[in-house]
Amino acid sequence: MLTSHRLIAVSAIALGAALAVTASTPLVAQDAVEEDQGPGGGVLMLRAKGDGTAVSAIQLGTDMDVTVSGQVARIRVTQAFRNTSTKWVEASYLYPLPEDGAVDTLKMVVGQRVIIGKIKRREEAQKIYEKAVKDGRKASLVEQQRPNMFTNRVANVGPGETVIVQIEYQMPVRQVGGAFSLRLPLVVGERYVPPHTIVSQAALRDARTITAGAIVRPVPGQMLNPVSIAVHLSPGFTPAGLKSPYHRIAVEGQGASREIRLAGGQVAADRDFELSWRAASNEPVVGAFKQKVGSQTYVMATVVSPITATAPPPPREMVFVIDNSGSMGGDSMVEAKASLEHALRTLRPQDHFNVIRFDDTMTQLFEHSVRATPEQVQTAIRFARSLEATGGTEMLPALKAALADAATVGDASTVRQIIFLTDGDISNEEEMAAAIAADQGKSHLFPVGIGSAPNNYLMARMATMGRGTYTNIGSAEEVSPKMTALLDALQRPAVQDVKVTVSGKVDLTPKILPDIYSGQSLVVLGRTDKLQGTMTVSGRIGARLWSSTLDLSQAVDSPAVAKLWARKRIDDIETERTLGSLDSAKADEEIADIGLDHSLVTSQTSLIAEDRKDPRRPANEPLTREELPLNLPAGWDFDKLIGGEAARLAMTNAAAHGSSVADTAEAVELPETATNFAATLANGLLLALIGGLGLLWQRRRKVAR
Amino acid sequence: MRAATLAFAGVAAFGLFEAASAAIIPAKAVVAQVLLERAFDRSVATHQPVKPWPWADMAPIARITIPRLGLREVALDSGSGQALAFGPTFLPTAAAPGAPGTAVAAAHRDTHFRGLGEAKIGDTIIVEGIDGRSTSYRVDSLQVTRWDRFAVSSDRSAARLALVTCYTFGAVTHGPMRYVVQASKI
Repeated sequence: MLTSHRLIAVSAIALGAALAVTASTPLVAQDAVEEDQGPGGGVLMLRAKGDGTAVSAIQLGTDMDVTVSGQVARIRVTQAFRNTSTKWVEASYLYPLPEDGAVDTLKMVVGQRVIIGKIKRREEAQKIYEKAVKDGRKASLVEQQRPNMFTNRVANVGPGETVIVQIEYQMPVRQVGGAFSLRLPLVVGERYVPPHTIVSQAALRDARTITAGAIVRPVPGQMLNPVSIAVHLSPGFTPAGLKSPYHRIAVEGQGASREIRLAGGQVAADRDFELSWRAASNEPVVGAFKQKVGSQTYVMATVVSPITATAPPPPREMVFVIDNSGSMGGDSMVEAKASLEHALRTLRPQDHFNVIRFDDTMTQLFEHSVRATPEQVQTAIRFARSLEATGGTEMLPALKAALADAATVGDASTVRQIIFLTDGDISNEEEMAAAIAADQGKSHLFPVGIGSAPNNYLMARMATMGRGTYTNIGSAEEVSPKMTALLDALQRPAVQDVKVTVSGKVDLTPKILPDIYSGQSLVVLGRTDKLQGTMTVSGRIGARLWSSTLDLSQAVDSPAVAKLWARKRIDDIETERTLGSLDSAKADEEIADIGLDHSLVTSQTSLIAEDRKDPRRPANEPLTREELPLNLPAGWDFDKLIGGEAARLAMTNAAAHGSSVADTAEAVELPETATNFAATLANGLLLALIGGLGLLWQRRRKVAR
Repeated sequence: MRAATLAFAGVAAFGLFEAASAAIIPAKAVVAQVLLERAFDRSVATHQPVKPWPWADMAPIARITIPRLGLREVALDSGSGQALAFGPTFLPTAAAPGAPGTAVAAAHRDTHFRGLGEAKIGDTIIVEGIDGRSTSYRVDSLQVTRWDRFAVSSDRSAARLALVTCYTFGAVTHGPMRYVVQASKI
């Protein structure tokens, strides 16, 4: 009796095991979007204005003159608008700026006269400009469309005439891992405008403004929008290891200063310009700069975090989000896939991970984050390799999915890191920031800006809101070193709970201090009545306390500090607006005040230069408006973007529907398309074998008895 | 003792049944294609849909060939799971093959569309209709998407073709992901 019981138990276990084989669901790709966004149809706001191969009336040439003193760069951009036609033309040019740049000067050269631009409230500047346009007088208007995207309009350029417009801006030098770098964007990548954001005429106007009039198919041997760049570098120490990863440069000079030029003279404005350098010796680098304006003194201090030792790495959950939309087509997709694969290969079995890809649809590889076993990692690598760049850029659902999974793995000590690989070419940056704010810091976000001209404003904003850092990967050669550096920094403990203390009353910015990752630096700006004493930045690295103190009396004079303070203060206001702690109208008002006080172009203030004297265009001559065509950022796949299905649809759509936005696609449900006969067959045979063996064993026992 | 014997016999019988019902799937897929090939040829000759066997509730409507992959399958006109056992089927909710819009044909990844994972951009797909005309398409996109998040362009100006099967190839369980090969008429 006892034996028979045991046998039943044995066979029950065998049956259970066999059924378990059938029921287990390994390697199932699943999508867990909390809110279904419906079939993926999107609008890339490409206007059917011709493909830009037609000769445009206005030819544009740009010269950038960059002066780096200490840790501030001042950039003077001179643009010559030459009218090669026989018509009177109004030209409009969409140009990019560093995400932390602050435009403060506009000059327009008409004949022998230089007209200095004035800072005005946006609406007022627009009125002045429109009046000048109507009167036939020359005028130039610089407006901010995004913190890193501006439009420059020049009115009443006569036949054969050239108008020179000069703008100036400044930006802080970035300091990472002991290297200093400056990144100047030269072209705006075509932005994807998610259809759900186009809800009003104002939104539609915005969408039209931030997208180029035309994008030009690259023609070998032809250069559109040529740029020349000169950098006067005086970092305050002897620079060494000068590098420009995306352009060939010629370097001259010795001692503590260098002159850098583009080796080929001019280049097409089709990729970011980057220059990096190091200090030749280990002499301490000056970390504090000051500027006195009226009764106020402004101060800027850079604090470099220590390179911390790799601690026993805490359990982590890494979520990789990869953009495979049409704008990633070409080199960007290759770089993004290689970066993802590089990161996946560094996962350890104790880590959890997941991969999410998105275009205007999205896929979550695993329903929830899974343990990084070699098999799961292989599955993810296969998934990554299968990605093709196509379609629109619906980034928000992917971000929300990455943030949503937070509660499913590990305990409170689990470090949750989201690595976001994208070119960032979307128009709804603020929605992204708001989604991260809503997460309340459960996840840390590390955007990786892919391609030759990524939207670094989005990268910086996501990193700030998500308490992470951002990295740029602009070429295939950079994948390995930059990803290694990023992943390495993520393995080392960061300085957390950062506090800044200063003697005296100082209005400091940024208000929300980020975690400082190993080798990264923190730039703090302040405004005070009286600059004195020291500034101490303190925090904790794991359980250890860390602090760094700067003597402010050693601060070196620099003419840019006040404006950089103002620029950073605006970021604070935007963050408060996103977090909901500041009313939107009040935020606009504060930004306008800062813009007017410091003569900065902001979302609320514009620079306007008008020729008050002589109306040049005869009243009976019409004015032709022209938006200057843009280059496609280097490495972009023109056909993927412009010739691609998504773009073609958007084009017909935008043309056909004007202000309304219609779905460009129809959903089709796909049937179940796997029989899995192989698995069923294997399970069946396994069961038959178990049963057969059992019967055989029974027979033997009987015979034996 | 008898209870144990019974249990083992039960397990063995269940296993054999499972194995047999699984083994019949590829067999059915192959045999059905032979019958469908014949029915298709007769359909082309008569310009009328001919049922492959008397009790069939579907008829062949097109033959899909991808020469480079050696894939040649007769496709059916109904997107039900039953028809999928016999051949690729054109989804009734999408456009008809060759007509303006996107025609969508689905088949199992482990029978008729087993080779689809090898498809490359630029491959030619030929679709012969029962009217005897054949249309050539060029593969222009490969994508992985969720079954309920797939959309085709509503543009009616061009004839397109989408071949769909389950993803990932070689997986052993059902999943929500689909692999889609899209092609445009040349």
